[in-house]
Amino acid sequence: MQKMLSRFSDVLQTAADVLAPPPTRLEDFEYHWKMILNFYQNYDESSKVHIEDTRIPHHLHQMLQLIVDEEKEQQGGTVGPCLEAIVQHKICVLDALTALAAADRPPGARSLALTTGTALLRRTRQPCVNSVHVYRPLQRMLIQCNESPASPTEKEEVELLLTLCGLVRKEPGLANVFTTPFVEDKASLLSIPEDIQKLIPIKSKVQTPKHNTLFEVEFSSNTLRHMPIVRTNGPEDGNTGSGSADDASCKSQKTVYDDNDKFLLIDLLLSYLNSADNQVVLRACEGIMIVSSLPEDDIANLVTSCSPVCEAIVDKLAVKYKCIPFNTEPTDVDNLNITWAYLAQDYGDKAMNKFQGYRELTSFYSWLDYCDTLMKECHPTIAAHLSRTFRQSFLEACAEAGVRSPRHAALATAVLAKCLRAVDAADLISEFSNWLVGEGEVPEWPLLHKLISNCLTDNHDITLETLQFFQTIIEKGTEHSIHRLVLSRVCSRGYLSQQPPLEDEERDRLNDVSLWRERERNREAMQQLQHEDHVTEQIHDILSHEGVDVTGQDGAQNIHKIVNSFLLLLPRAILSDPVGADYLHYIHDAHRHYQFWLDQTSTFNWPSESNYVDTTASSTHSYDSRPEADIHLDEAFDNYKPDDKSPDPAASFYIEKYNYPQKLPKVSTGDEDFDEGPFFRMLYKLLLNMPHQPYQINLHLTAIVSKLALIPHPNLHEYLLNPMLPTAKKTQTLFKVLQEVARKLSVEIPRIKNYKKVIESTRLQLMSEDPIYDERGDHNQLVESLIVLEEFCKELAAIAFVKYQHALQVAR
Amino acid sequence: MAYAYLFKYIIIGDTGVGKSCLLLQFTDKRFQPVHDLTIGVEFGARMITIDGKQIKLQIWDTAGQEAFRSITRSYYRGAAGALLVYDITRRETFNHLTTWLEDARQHSNSNMVIMLIGNKSDLESRREVKKEEGEAFAREHGLVFMETSAKTAANVEEAFINTAKEIYEKIQEGVFDINNEANGIKIGPQHSAVGGASGAGGAGAGGAAGGGCC
Repeated sequence: MQKMLSRFSDVLQTAADVLAPPPTRLEDFEYHWKMILNFYQNYDESSKVHIEDTRIPHHLHQMLQLIVDEEKEQQGGTVGPCLEAIVQHKICVLDALTALAAADRPPGARSLALTTGTALLRRTRQPCVNSVHVYRPLQRMLIQCNESPASPTEKEEVELLLTLCGLVRKEPGLANVFTTPFVEDKASLLSIPEDIQKLIPIKSKVQTPKHNTLFEVEFSSNTLRHMPIVRTNGPEDGNTGSGSADDASCKSQKTVYDDNDKFLLIDLLLSYLNSADNQVVLRACEGIMIVSSLPEDDIANLVTSCSPVCEAIVDKLAVKYKCIPFNTEPTDVDNLNITWAYLAQDYGDKAMNKFQGYRELTSFYSWLDYCDTLMKECHPTIAAHLSRTFRQSFLEACAEAGVRSPRHAALATAVLAKCLRAVDAADLISEFSNWLVGEGEVPEWPLLHKLISNCLTDNHDITLETLQFFQTIIEKGTEHSIHRLVLSRVCSRGYLSQQPPLEDEERDRLNDVSLWRERERNREAMQQLQHEDHVTEQIHDILSHEGVDVTGQDGAQNIHKIVNSFLLLLPRAILSDPVGADYLHYIHDAHRHYQFWLDQTSTFNWPSESNYVDTTASSTHSYDSRPEADIHLDEAFDNYKPDDKSPDPAASFYIEKYNYPQKLPKVSTGDEDFDEGPFFRMLYKLLLNMPHQPYQINLHLTAIVSKLALIPHPNLHEYLLNPMLPTAKKTQTLFKVLQEVARKLSVEIPRIKNYKKVIESTRLQLMSEDPIYDERGDHNQLVESLIVLEEFCKELAAIAFVKYQHALQVAR
Repeated sequence: MAYAYLFKYIIIGDTGVGKSCLLLQFTDKRFQPVHDLTIGVEFGARMITIDGKQIKLQIWDTAGQEAFRSITRSYYRGAAGALLVYDITRRETFNHLTTWLEDARQHSNSNMVIMLIGNKSDLESRREVKKEEGEAFAREHGLVFMETSAKTAANVEEAFINTAKEIYEKIQEGVFDINNEANGIKIGPQHSAVGGASGAGGAGAGGAAGGGCC
């Protein structure tokens, strides 16, 4: 019975279906479309009812859902009937959305139109953006919204744009849809087509086109208006089947772009960079990054040649730079750590007023971080263009003036130093460095000279900031910048001379302390000798501990001597730490830092450093007691005559490859003075002035020199770290300069009343890093400089040792 | 609202593993089966309590699609924690973990706490990745591991809160320099007065040495 009933109901249902079958998806789709049209046909424009209180959102949502549902059932990327109706322009719902967005009627319609458009693109896998009836309305909607800057729907607008960027990222050919031939002229994009106006008879708010830089171009005649860009697998549209250039997006075609061409997508994004809403700016930045990071060469060319994106981004950086208040403390600049992507959330924070200039600095550095990140992510063509623009429009046009202005130099230098520290993109670092040190064969680079002279002014703030800048320039050094700054002179080994230095020069300095009474002197000399024995013993211990056989190799004896020269530079009597308990600490630091430099310079085309052992050993050997056997080899080597009179470093290193315990090639006649160049000259001048300079300056000064000493370049190495290097009398070397400073200090310090106590207490205070100490005015600069020098010598000794040890390991 | 600390998180992993759903479940306590594809990065925030202290979590939900990787990378730097999510019903999302981890380690600060999440634990019948495999991967790479369901909310609270606890412990141990905002941690307004007391160590007057280049 039940069975029969059920059969009966089935039959009834079938009969009903025949009479009135359930609506198809397309019919549903058409129904909702008609409901929307009906609404607008009867719409009273004076009505204040918000769109959310009408049925419009419901109908749009249903239409969207039908497209999403039908896509799930479609096979192999074909287009379902609902989307097909849009593509064929039978149901022009997207054009209707454009009309809604333009008129914003009922209130809220614009926002709804934008979010519906966005949702269509995000929820469907194949939204057919390359169809003219999809992309044209979207373009129109975006351009019309863009006509009123700072509109309340900025967020929705930029979301739609970003979504389009994402689609372009996935299907790069779509970029063509946003370039000139496929973008209609402004007037036609700013008006709603008549057929749509008939369907949606509401007045558009956007009537008189305002001056919009997006459309400065004169468009050629409107021949492309009916250009179909229908997917090949979609059904052909009857009246647009002309078919020639019909697939704008199948592949990204290599195109030569005209100067007048435009890339609408990027141009639109750019207009949101100046929004007051940081979230909007962030989204626009993301969109630019997505499009710029496409691997296609022609899109990259499009970005650089048809859009002002690089210029706009750098100009914005320059504007933000100029906003930094003059009275910002240079010392505040360094502590900032800003990531562009996180900034938008932080901006509302009250902490934004931490100190004078904080907000402006944050804004500036976050933008710099964006430039830097963009440059790392984007296509190499764009990166190159962006970094050139960065140099021209920011560094040269904007930042350089600050460095040259005596009033603002300290802050400007601090800001630039922080910039260089913050950036990471290779192109950016390279342009930055070239701007600083100069390019090509220009011998004198004005900016570099300015920076060097800024180090030598009486204004300690400027000196300090500029020294810190140089420190960064070296840390971020490129092969070119390090060459320009320090290597160009030492590469020739012009500092070498045949003349041996005086054997006992080092010890003689004790005799300079002429004011001491004879007896006092003898007593001190005794203690000095004991001290030297003690240091020697300590070094011996460290060397053995680090696995260096002190008795065995010549090299080991020589490194012992080198380390000794640095550690015994200052007389014991004025040492603040005669025990030298922290040698090992310095060795560990030097290891770490040296590894950094090895990594940093691994790609540089420099001669290998593995012959430190020999270089150092041989140059030392000639003037110290050494096994007879080696002298013979040395004599043999003396017969080597370089072909060329001018020094050829390559040749000399070639020789060294054979690991002869050689004497250095005769390079300098000893008569000409070696010109160490302006940078070293400045460093030496400041080093000589150490006793009369503030502690902070000395600290940064010695930090620069120790960085240079770490650099794994054989010439620089021997020039800075071999105290026994044979040089002409007038040739300045680091060791000679330090000897001179030590001499000064050992004369002047004992004149201080109770000097041992003063040394002891100054050391304690410096080590405690008590901020109150910095604020006190009664520092003893002289004693402070002594302590800096003392520690510096330990550091140099450690660096020499670590480099030696490394060379040994490489040699094994 | 006042907070003692603010932590920045990111959620990463392949597209469709449920990153946005996890965030929505955590911030709004609801599940939304149909969700728009995430474009770029979405943001959410919630306050939690650890050790009696109010902690604000700011969470950035990133797009899993390759197309947005350039943007996602910008968020690694400056995050204190990351939830690395895979889908237990799709083996390939598990297979891609190594790539995600490499990307994260390369671009983030070394102290970032990473929590491995096997999501969709409610779909037991369609499981393709065993729980033990997730555990093994986590062990091997030093991650914390948990299986969650954004749909039933199972373990979702725990995933976010345990990550926060781990970060909190690292702060207590002094691993994180809380004054460096690049670490993804901020001290709340009422705490900032005691902020500056770190930065001990260094070579004292030999700061010339301690200054270093690294």
